[in-house]
Amino acid sequence: MPPSVEGKDPSPCRSRVALGIFTVAAASVAVTVACLFVGRYPKPGFMPISLLLSDPTARAVLFGSRLPRLIAAILLGAVLGSSGNAFQMVFANPLAEPGFLGVTQGAALGAALALVSGAQGDAAIAVSAFAVALLGLGASVRLARAFSFGGWVLRMALSGLAVSAALSAGLAIVKFGADPLKELPDIAYWTMGSLAGAGWKKTAFMAVPCIASTAFLVAYGWRITALSVDETVASSLGLRPRVERAIILVFASAGVAAAVAVAGTVTWVGLVVPHVARRLAGADARFSMPVSVLLGATFAAVCDTIARAALPGELPLGAVTALLGAGAFVAMFSKGSKELAR
Amino acid sequence: MNLRTDSVSYGYPGSSRDAVSGVSLDLAEGTALAVIGPNGCGKSTLLSLAVGALVPRSGRVLYGGADRSSLGRRDAAKKLSYLPQIERFTFQLTALEYVMLGRVPWVDPWSGPGTDDQAEACEALSRVGMEGARGRHVTELSGGELQLVRLARCLAQRTGTIVLDEPTSMLDPAHSLLLADALRDLISSGKAVLFSTHDALFARYAADFVAIMRDGKLVHSGSSGEALRADRLEEAFGVPFGTSDVPTPFAGAAIEANGEVGHGRNRDRGEG
Repeated sequence: MPPSVEGKDPSPCRSRVALGIFTVAAASVAVTVACLFVGRYPKPGFMPISLLLSDPTARAVLFGSRLPRLIAAILLGAVLGSSGNAFQMVFANPLAEPGFLGVTQGAALGAALALVSGAQGDAAIAVSAFAVALLGLGASVRLARAFSFGGWVLRMALSGLAVSAALSAGLAIVKFGADPLKELPDIAYWTMGSLAGAGWKKTAFMAVPCIASTAFLVAYGWRITALSVDETVASSLGLRPRVERAIILVFASAGVAAAVAVAGTVTWVGLVVPHVARRLAGADARFSMPVSVLLGATFAAVCDTIARAALPGELPLGAVTALLGAGAFVAMFSKGSKELAR
Repeated sequence: MNLRTDSVSYGYPGSSRDAVSGVSLDLAEGTALAVIGPNGCGKSTLLSLAVGALVPRSGRVLYGGADRSSLGRRDAAKKLSYLPQIERFTFQLTALEYVMLGRVPWVDPWSGPGTDDQAEACEALSRVGMEGARGRHVTELSGGELQLVRLARCLAQRTGTIVLDEPTSMLDPAHSLLLADALRDLISSGKAVLFSTHDALFARYAADFVAIMRDGKLVHSGSSGEALRADRLEEAFGVPFGTSDVPTPFAGAAIEANGEVGHGRNRDRGEG
């Protein structure tokens, strides 16, 4: 046996990881429940719990308006966090996220096309959003394969940039041609992101694809970790990297498309949340995927609470997530560089 | 035979000549075979054909007598593990998490690894002397440590055959020796090892048999003591080979003349 090479850290303990995930889960539940009682009724701030017993309007506000909207935010955040993590892992690219590879822009264009073509109902909008989202994803991957410049990560970044720009241009053209009184406000709502219209019906609509997508990505966590290593190694482990990657991306995109169909374009959640999750739980998606779900759900719930409660009028949800997400991103990597310097 | 290539040929799309042309090799249990030759001679292509990353244009690859093309991916992964020359790590997996991936072929796709799989991965790390690195990130390991951890991943895969592409290309002499000793330990426990290299001393030390390649063809094969002659190496590499008095960690093997490999440190432990 060769001489031992001493390591500085003990091996990660499964019970410690389980305890960590339980702690994050408990904190997430506490924060999201607290969000339910934050708002502008009866006055800006916390609604006293006792008011629910005495005030029918308080009950209506809480159960008829805030609760479905909170659940929609949880579903949106969970699906964006988990799909962002899946995108980053299977493309071995820490900058990947649904928006980065044209999925979000594709979904927005698909929804806009459905709106201007007179499609009725959330289902028609969601199907159109999903179809164009997949088209955006497929085009990004296809273009990256065709590029002859740089490695896989750089090629994905470049092709995602080009496809996202093309889809955004398509959206701009659709907006230009849209009826300024009837269609344009709806499309504008999309591009800023909002859960203001998320009642029980819309929340129920997005629930099935979001839960299916998230559950799949959590259950498939270990295979996703195996797909994050070198492709030849993944193949030698008996995986079918291209097929399994495609299945994962379809599930992730289906969830994102359903969430985006209700919430519009909400950026930065899919990029930032997986980074924080990996810092807390490690890179193995067995652990980082459930933590991404919990953190994504909590982050979206907090951002939506800020969007609806911070000012007398609604703030765009996409603006809040971008502002807080970018801040967290900067703080995290500033801290990281200090650690590196030590 | 654990692994056999039966007159395999392969040409890359757009190339007028074959990268590998009619190469036949046999690899038996408990032996190591080194494929040696200059850059571009087809070593890596031959290994890619052996592991199934490329499909031969003609000829067959057999795992334990079964045609590679008739085996499912998962079954093939239970018979042969592979260490490519370069492996890029984007995410900070711990050494234990990485080695545990060797259990993928043995675990149901819908369930993660169990405690048995974790124990298997820990044992594999211990076997290459890296048990202390379990909680360290693979991105923080030195080149030599990483190579041993990668070898542990192959061990966790519990395959009879291990294929390594240029395993010492980025190692210093001490880690080359460490890796060679680890390989000799595996061979003595019955594993079949196939590796490519252009380091004749490493091949002489770590392998029982050597296959010399040039321009995609096998130009000589035999026991490492017999095959690694200066004239044969000159023919393959196209430069004169002579003996040198520069010290080498493989000197213990290089001075042996009867084809038996073994290093002082191994012999002291009654191994190799």
